[in-house]
Amino acid sequence: MLRDKSLNRKFDKIRAKEEAGLLKPATGSRALRKMMSNRLAMAGVVIFAVILLASVFAPLLTVHDPLKVDLRSMLQSPSAEHILGTDRTGRDVFARILYGGRVSILVGLGSALIAAVIGVGIGAYTAYRGGWIDIIALRASEIFMAFPQIILVLLLVSITGQSLTNLIIIFVLTGWASMYRMARARVLSLREEEYVQALQSFGVPTVKICYKHILPNALGPIMVNITLSTAMFILAEAGLSFLGLGVPLSIPTWGNILNVAQDLRVLQNNWWLWLPVGSVISLFVLSINFIGDGLRDSTDPTLQG
Amino acid sequence: MLTFIARRLLITIPMLLVISFLVYLGLEMTPGDAVSYMIDPEAAARMSDEQFAAMREALGLNKSFLERYGIWLVNILQGNFGHSLSGGVAISTIVLDRLPATLELAIFALFFSTLFGCVLGTISALRRGSATDSALTVIGMLGVSIPEFFFGLVAILIFALNLGWLPVGGRLLPGYETFIDRLPHIVLPGLVMSLMMTAGVMRYSRSAMLDSLSREFIRTARSKGLPEWRIHLIHGFRVALTPVVVLIGFRLPTLIGGSVIIEKVFQWPGVGNEFIQAVRGSDYPLVMMIALLSVFAVLMASLIVDVLTALIDPRVRLN
Repeated sequence: MLRDKSLNRKFDKIRAKEEAGLLKPATGSRALRKMMSNRLAMAGVVIFAVILLASVFAPLLTVHDPLKVDLRSMLQSPSAEHILGTDRTGRDVFARILYGGRVSILVGLGSALIAAVIGVGIGAYTAYRGGWIDIIALRASEIFMAFPQIILVLLLVSITGQSLTNLIIIFVLTGWASMYRMARARVLSLREEEYVQALQSFGVPTVKICYKHILPNALGPIMVNITLSTAMFILAEAGLSFLGLGVPLSIPTWGNILNVAQDLRVLQNNWWLWLPVGSVISLFVLSINFIGDGLRDSTDPTLQG
Repeated sequence: MLTFIARRLLITIPMLLVISFLVYLGLEMTPGDAVSYMIDPEAAARMSDEQFAAMREALGLNKSFLERYGIWLVNILQGNFGHSLSGGVAISTIVLDRLPATLELAIFALFFSTLFGCVLGTISALRRGSATDSALTVIGMLGVSIPEFFFGLVAILIFALNLGWLPVGGRLLPGYETFIDRLPHIVLPGLVMSLMMTAGVMRYSRSAMLDSLSREFIRTARSKGLPEWRIHLIHGFRVALTPVVVLIGFRLPTLIGGSVIIEKVFQWPGVGNEFIQAVRGSDYPLVMMIALLSVFAVLMASLIVDVLTALIDPRVRLN
């Protein structure tokens, strides 16, 4: 078989290196080493860091104010003064992408983290306790998961109205159930381990066993889930804001910048208004997905090697 | 088997009841008088105050909350979904009007995403570890990372605005009635939606194929001296197909939600587009009803998938 031959060659190379004393002894955690050797994941980390830092340090990278309307320089194409041109009201697009990143990343990462804390917090405890509390939590999560996500999000938007806080609350409401499910499944299998029984026989309080001794063993899948949820929420924010139903238009976000592209004339004539920001969203989400995939490969013990 | 279906129904029906209760709660909390969506607005405009009060009484709006919920639920079961706030059209009419367009798009996307996903996933599995495999993995990742509307906009710009091969959006023009006339309209939204959904199928069918290729019967087939393509396609793929078929069923819910933004981008006159308009216009009865119907569809789809899985796969235990 072709694959076996190439594997043989790989091992021969490793053995040759070993005999020549070129291999360094393994240091650090196995998961970390595996993550570092995953080229796609590392590329993801780099892209993620670049976009994140560019947003955080936006004032250092541009002198323009993302909100300042300048009617004398409407819809200018990219120039030395405005690297990515200006929009319909003369606002600098490059500055808007940088500052918009702050809000978009905040919404994505913030919602994912809060959803994880709530979902994992409930899941770990109710699964460990079992009984009626577990059944209630499980049924509640089923109700949330029965809705197609975008439909539930839009339904809640129509009830609560549009604001940044509302959007984060809505994302948390729609996202906690999957985190809960995953935490519950992990804890249910860990609950029967012998070390847990030992802790119980020592009289360690339930809450402590649950959060201090069981939960850390489920950290890998939780991290993977947080990264994938972040990616999903950033896409959801962009989609909603593009429809004009997400973050209020007065706040620059990646989705809000793209909102103008609904106009076909803008789409055809003013590429700088939508192409750069669309590419930034795609790159950022892609980098998060690479990181998530790398995390999954490096933390899942069934995928060792 | 019958007891299995009965048990699944016993779980599904209470879920639907609880969700319908929550939806009704939301409807009661949102602004607007309940009369406005329970009767035809034109008829309401012609009524005097006394008639109006009598109408409220007749509709049971002066009863307790639980009784009102009961009446609402019975109405829904009879197919009376109430009226939209804007225009006062019966919600059932709106949904029935828009549903064919959404189904058309969903079936198109389901078919092509399954086709592309299976073919690419199989290629990826057969060439595991090669440059083709890595390239397909990265492309698959791109597929789940690009916002669907952004991909749709780029497609519109290239194929509709610049090349002029396909229409920008819409579904029916006056005079275009047969399926062939409509075909150019569905190509762009349908393909964009299919390509966005292909990544998931590709990933799944790749691992299913790898799993099936590592089985004993593949070695048996090889030892019989069968040609390699026959081993892969006839023996390997057939076994890999079962989990993929199940996956298709599981994606029915995402299909229902997934077309919402695509429909908006391409001005496709489906339920999703109507839903967005209803959310924009704070047309609460319509929003709630479409949400409730989508939950109904999702729960029914998962029920059917469970039953089918139990039928296909003898390893699934019925109790």
